[in-house]
Amino acid sequence: MSALKRILPVAVLLIAGTGSSAQAKTYEGPMRSTAVSVVREFWAFVSDVSGLTHSQGSTQTQRPQPQAIPPAPPDGPSIDLSDISNTITIERELEHKLEGNGNSLRLTVSRGSAWRGDYRLSANESHPGDLLVVSGDADIAGKLMGNLVTVNGDVMVREGGLVSGDILTLGGTVHGDGEIGGEVRSLGSTSLLTHAPMAATPIASTGALALTFARIAGVIGVFLTLAALGFGLVMFGRTNLEVVSDTVAHSFGRAFVTGLLGQILLLPTFGMLVVGLILSVAGILLLPFAVVVYTLLVIVAGVGGYLAVAHAMGETYVRRRMALGAVIGSPNSYRYLLIGMAAMASLWLAWAIFGWVPVAGNLIRGAAFLVTWLLGTAGFGAALLSRAGIKENFAGRLIPPEALTDEYLWATPQFGVPAGRRPGTRTPTRGL
Amino acid sequence: MTSLRLVLGLLLWAGTASAQSMRPFSTFRQQHGETRLRVNLQYAAGVLRLGAGPTGQLYRMDVSYDPDRFVPRSEFDAARGEVLLGVEAAGHAGLRVVSQHQLQQLATVSFSPDVDLALDVGLGAVDADLELGGLRLTDLNLETGASRAVIRFSQPNGARCGAAQLSAGAAELSVIGLGNSRCDRIDFQGGVGKVTLDFGGAWTASSNVEVQMAMGELTLRLPRQVGVRITLDKFLSSFEPSGLVRRGNSFESPGYNRDSRHLDIAMTAAVGQVRVEWVNKQ
Repeated sequence: MSALKRILPVAVLLIAGTGSSAQAKTYEGPMRSTAVSVVREFWAFVSDVSGLTHSQGSTQTQRPQPQAIPPAPPDGPSIDLSDISNTITIERELEHKLEGNGNSLRLTVSRGSAWRGDYRLSANESHPGDLLVVSGDADIAGKLMGNLVTVNGDVMVREGGLVSGDILTLGGTVHGDGEIGGEVRSLGSTSLLTHAPMAATPIASTGALALTFARIAGVIGVFLTLAALGFGLVMFGRTNLEVVSDTVAHSFGRAFVTGLLGQILLLPTFGMLVVGLILSVAGILLLPFAVVVYTLLVIVAGVGGYLAVAHAMGETYVRRRMALGAVIGSPNSYRYLLIGMAAMASLWLAWAIFGWVPVAGNLIRGAAFLVTWLLGTAGFGAALLSRAGIKENFAGRLIPPEALTDEYLWATPQFGVPAGRRPGTRTPTRGL
Repeated sequence: MTSLRLVLGLLLWAGTASAQSMRPFSTFRQQHGETRLRVNLQYAAGVLRLGAGPTGQLYRMDVSYDPDRFVPRSEFDAARGEVLLGVEAAGHAGLRVVSQHQLQQLATVSFSPDVDLALDVGLGAVDADLELGGLRLTDLNLETGASRAVIRFSQPNGARCGAAQLSAGAAELSVIGLGNSRCDRIDFQGGVGKVTLDFGGAWTASSNVEVQMAMGELTLRLPRQVGVRITLDKFLSSFEPSGLVRRGNSFESPGYNRDSRHLDIAMTAAVGQVRVEWVNKQ
């Protein structure tokens, strides 16, 4: 236990550290999965820590030596920059073709050329075709007859300079008073060439840890909201809640089927209501009122039914534990509700924690959604069957007429151990 | 126990501090002798600001968008003198609960005050403030979804506007200074919501307005310097014709026939309330 107390603050500090480092990082690109970003954030955190303990001199902040990127062999990577209007597509294509090539990069630009490091076009020079500049700024004082794309670099078009086509900067900005014939687009921060310095504005990043915490907070928030509603329901409509709860417990199948039919018939019923009111001249005035009331009734039936299912689950669990001899402090509706809701929230909590896991995360979410829908449908159906807790026919509360016989009354003691269940009959008591 | 509190505190902190990844995108085009521009601006979610830009820049859009769910658009067709701008949904299929963070998207769009502008705007779940005064607007077509939008004509339109068509879904829409719009015809179709049509401004000519309101509250702010006539077709709506005189099926401002400029409003209102307010000369 003491070891746990020591480890917990360290883990918290680690989480806080990775969280704060995530806030300062830039956008990680369009192809990054959540799992990858977790690893990256952890690595960034380790790098930050190691950076504090080692010298600051790093090759990461140096621009590469300016040089032309040689064309690739015929079957090598190539890119067409004649249409750069779709920035996201161009970025993804470049990401695919530039990643991992390092200094040995070879890339063919259709009807153009590629350059690594800072590029300068003097006033008396002209560049035919499109130009790709990687990890460097483009300084244009001459005439560039084509499109210009820079990756992790700015563009300066000086007065008298010309770029006849479009300009696209991925992780850079465009300055200058020169002439630009086409459209200028700047996509801030890019994951391309992550070894090169980022020229973009730092923006916040959502890592898997932060996402997990946000989801957990969301689940807790929903839980607390439903708990507040449930407590209000217990306080002001306990009898109705218990009847709906008993209906779910004793007639689950019928409640589910009714709930399913109710969901299917929700809209048609609403339409019939509206049409009926419109056709009856006097009813038109009631239309806005009826719409609001119908909506409220559906919400109350849905939420109330869901809470009633939670109540039924909690009551069943508590009574079973008591039957096994466990001592329960105060077996009341509040406890039933909390236990049931906790059980129902557990699946969503599992999704919140493990939702980032590929495939499994989606499976858990699907399961949570399915179970929630099943229980919600049953609760909705129970609310309909019991007329929101007014009608007790399906709740198993009424003693069947055949039970009111001398034999039954004789066999059922008023105190002590209840009589054994009669073969072929249903137990009239609830919750067992 | 202290550790537990610390963990809970950090959980709450992480929940609030987990900002969404927003990505900046900018686009602009220099003006090279263009005299007219047709704009198709589609903005799905977030905050939108629109207004006149500097001379020499045909258009510009600076946007901070959610790269997981949206894609910025900027495509100029030189042959047709048309540009498509905005932020559109990335197109991933499936059910998605709209996040409050989406509303953190912010776009600022500006156009040259020197070109004749035909503006076609489509807004989704947007908080929009469009300042159209100072532009040379020749046509306006605005469609809003679940938006809160304010459209202003703070200055007189630099060009004659043929028609303005405004369509609001479940929206809160205010159009301020329609007198400055210099539109010959204004059509408004409202779904559900609260709408204010302010006809203040510098009226230089007559204008015809057609208003169709399904359900909601419509406020007409009418100018005193022009003759106003409202022809009303209402179903379950209440209408307060304050300051208007009934003439057959329509309501007119006193001295309607003497005024040289007229504002004729044909209005159809289904369910809701129509209010009339008067604005002083501006």
